[in-house]
Amino acid sequence: MKDGAEDKAAPGRGRAAVRARLWEPIARWMFLAPAVAYLLLFFGYPIVENIVMSFQQYTTTTFYTGAAPFVGLRNYTGILSSDLFARALPTTVLFTAGSLAGQFVLGLALALFFHRRFPLGRVLRSLLLLPWLLPLVVSATTWRWMLDTDTGVVNHTLRGLHLLSSGVPWLTGTSQALASVTVVNIWVGIPFNTAILYGGLQDIPAHLYEAAKLDGAGPLTSFRRITWPLLRPVAGVVLVLGVVYTLKVLDIILIVTGGGPADATETIATRSYELSFQQFEFGRGAALGNVLVVISLLFAVVHLRANRRALEAGSTGP
Amino acid sequence: MTPAARPAARRITALVGSVALVLAAAGCGGGEGSASATGKVTSITALDYYTDAREHAQWSERLTACGRTAGVTVEHRSVPGASLVPKVLQQASSRTLPDLLMLDNPDVQQIAQTGALTPLDRYGIDTSGFDKGVLSAGTYKGKVYGLAPTVSTIALFYNKDMLSEAGVTVPRTWDELERAAARLTRPGRYGMAVDANATFEGTWQFLPFLWSNGGDEGRLDTPQAAQALQLWVDLVKSGSMSKSVLNWTQADVHDQFVAGKTAMMLNGPWRISEMAESRNLHWGVAPIPVRSQGQTLVTPLGGEVWTVPRNPSEARREKAARVLACLNDPTHMLAVAKQYFTVPSRTAVASRYTEQVPAMRAFVKSVAQARARTGELGVGWPRAATGIYTAVQAALTGEQTPQEALRHAQQIATGS
Amino acid sequence: MKRTPTRGRPYTIAGIVLLALMLFPVYWMVNASLQPAGDVLRGAWFPLHPDFSGYATAVHDQGRALATSLVVALGSTVLSLALAAPAAYALALLRPRGATPVLFGILVTQMVPGIVVANALYGAYNDLGLLNSHLGLVLADSTAGVPFSTIILRSSMQGVPREIIEAARVDGAGRLRVFRSVVLPLSTNALVTAGLFSFLFAWSDFLFALTLNTTETVRPITLGIYDYVGAHSNQWNAIMATAVLAALPAAALLVVAQRHVRAGITSGAVD
Repeated sequence: MKDGAEDKAAPGRGRAAVRARLWEPIARWMFLAPAVAYLLLFFGYPIVENIVMSFQQYTTTTFYTGAAPFVGLRNYTGILSSDLFARALPTTVLFTAGSLAGQFVLGLALALFFHRRFPLGRVLRSLLLLPWLLPLVVSATTWRWMLDTDTGVVNHTLRGLHLLSSGVPWLTGTSQALASVTVVNIWVGIPFNTAILYGGLQDIPAHLYEAAKLDGAGPLTSFRRITWPLLRPVAGVVLVLGVVYTLKVLDIILIVTGGGPADATETIATRSYELSFQQFEFGRGAALGNVLVVISLLFAVVHLRANRRALEAGSTGP
Repeated sequence: MTPAARPAARRITALVGSVALVLAAAGCGGGEGSASATGKVTSITALDYYTDAREHAQWSERLTACGRTAGVTVEHRSVPGASLVPKVLQQASSRTLPDLLMLDNPDVQQIAQTGALTPLDRYGIDTSGFDKGVLSAGTYKGKVYGLAPTVSTIALFYNKDMLSEAGVTVPRTWDELERAAARLTRPGRYGMAVDANATFEGTWQFLPFLWSNGGDEGRLDTPQAAQALQLWVDLVKSGSMSKSVLNWTQADVHDQFVAGKTAMMLNGPWRISEMAESRNLHWGVAPIPVRSQGQTLVTPLGGEVWTVPRNPSEARREKAARVLACLNDPTHMLAVAKQYFTVPSRTAVASRYTEQVPAMRAFVKSVAQARARTGELGVGWPRAATGIYTAVQAALTGEQTPQEALRHAQQIATGS
Repeated sequence: MKRTPTRGRPYTIAGIVLLALMLFPVYWMVNASLQPAGDVLRGAWFPLHPDFSGYATAVHDQGRALATSLVVALGSTVLSLALAAPAAYALALLRPRGATPVLFGILVTQMVPGIVVANALYGAYNDLGLLNSHLGLVLADSTAGVPFSTIILRSSMQGVPREIIEAARVDGAGRLRVFRSVVLPLSTNALVTAGLFSFLFAWSDFLFALTLNTTETVRPITLGIYDYVGAHSNQWNAIMATAVLAALPAAALLVVAQRHVRAGITSGAVD
């Protein structure tokens, strides 16, 4: 009868258990659902919508009349064969490559510098983060004014030091303007690079350096043999994130040069903005935006792989 | 043309008035106009590009006065010139257009084409007696959509002290202009300044050179156009003009002139009232030089047109139309003209104006001959205008020769 | 011993010089904001006779924009934490089926350019009446704060000792109770960091302010500066004063919450 008693009790408990088993994953998902819903609405929907829009023709009257006829691949063929794209692509590549190289090299140099302990080091290192925290609009506006050919402090200083007689056309020469926006972007990115690389340096065990020193290795050798190999995973992450962030840059260029002079600083991102929000050709703007997404996604794959490597490297550390 | 001194008392009144207005605007907060419970319209919104603090205040004053006659208060907003059209297109799409909208005259047809504006005949507004050029700029498919109280054009302003110090006479031809500009250039100072930025304002400043030399917006890759562009290129190359002209707006050009950083500039008469306030600045104004002496100067017709956007509320549109009519009545026309040294757009008022302000006689005549930008191409103008400023930018940066740049401009203009 | 030995004063001096070079633009901004209106074109090296008229103009013209920025940034902070904290709890400790794709998705969001989001949101907001609204801007600005906060909070919550959670569960606490009374209090540091950064992201936003506003009703300070540059070229002191005011939150955070700022930068990148 013991069994029977148990049988009697079981259905109630069993139902509860079943309910609990069914409820369990739902309850867990309840915590996740709001954020997932938000991400789907504000990232998923835009991506899908952009793909749809890129096959339609939008004009200035579209939002008034609602008419956006399907035009197949015409937006893409139009964009990719236009000389706007032919100019924006190399500009984007130069801007991104230049920014990355500058940010990384200077960021690494500063990280190595601050890796040594000295009085006030911590405070100085923290203050160094300021450029990265400032709103980009603020930084870009300040730089735009500093780089003015006739009244800017940069040319003023160069003239004062007798390095040149007339001003460098930082914002009005085509190649100088591209260099200028790159410099501004480097300035903004240095603190981020320094912070991450500094973190990476901290994780390298000091006894390795001591051992190397005993073996008679100079600073250059120990950098090449110890620092760089152990820093590589972190460096990979920094670089890939740098690519992804730089491709998206819009604020700096819009404010410092507005894409000019003579379109010399138009990147894919600023072109996409102009097509959509200045000329109201949302279809072509979306097509160009999607090109940017594809490029970013290529790097996303690299990013995720680099990330995994970095995490693995981190977990196998001391 | 000598600037009339503004009485100090009036200046102070204007200042007090503007402060009161700004405070009032800050107080009422919300951007949308309000209507009382009975549905009676008590306030409407107005949008223009008079962002300059003083100009904005003066227009606020005028709009308030005209609003009073229509029994509404006017919430007045201004956005920078280059962003007005994108803003309006955006507002058209989001159905947040203002009740009363100011547009630069060459933009009217393009905006009317989108269906965002209403024709003015339905409000019983009198459009007779207006100067043909500006009326045609405000007309799309046979209907008048906008009226401008006054019209104007651009001219050459020069610093008398600097010219006499350098022993330079006012240039009348391009050669003279280049020589004068070179001789006026000193360290920290340029001989000449124009607005060559990548907006329609840059195009507008280039037009006198293009048109007077026989160039035409319908066909941009001509030798005449290339000569005009070459002049600007030479001025920059020789160092007589700052390379920053590529970024300057007309307001920047004016600031440079007032600060003594340029000896000559291209600008409009609406700056005169402000220049009159700098006591140490002795300036004169002259026709823009032409290439060779026999040529006739052709300048673009300037003038801001007021329109009534297509908003759902009939009552609000009616009120806006009444304010628009008030801005364009002879009294206000004359007042605006005197304030900004522009020319009343009704021919009868213009002749009364020359009687009252004889110094403006020459100017009134030149404006009567000015050419409307949309006169030839209509809604096709924005493309041509884009082509022109693109070419100016490409040539001044040295990216392309004037010939190449204009060939490219022609492609942009025809959309190929 | 993890650190290399302490160096002396030469390094401190070199450090100060490097920092001065890096922060020169910031100094120049403050300096320019203290010059009288006309003098800025000439540009003195030091504000020997500080002139606060630039600030008076800035506060007068942009006071409302500063208030708007504050409202939007606070709104975005609240929204970001409210969405991210439970999500991080689920990802770190509950690990429901499908958590890995969600985490992957969050990382992918970092690759989506803002312009792509804005492009599509414009049409949607237009239909929903969210253009020119505080809510619309808060929602859009949180596209930076939500993924970032989730990542930060998740890595912090992973560090919550299992035993504490087990103990609470034995005491009969449900998931919600554990979350509220155990996990959240133990994650205060990460919450502060996530909150600070969400605030800064929204405060600094320019793209969504530029594209999702068609009137002047909801105009944050970043847009105020942008419009200012186009309109008042002769009032650089007022422009720079506005820039200084817009930079204050970042500077204040750096002074008050250094530790959190450093934590935010590093964990945001490596996770």
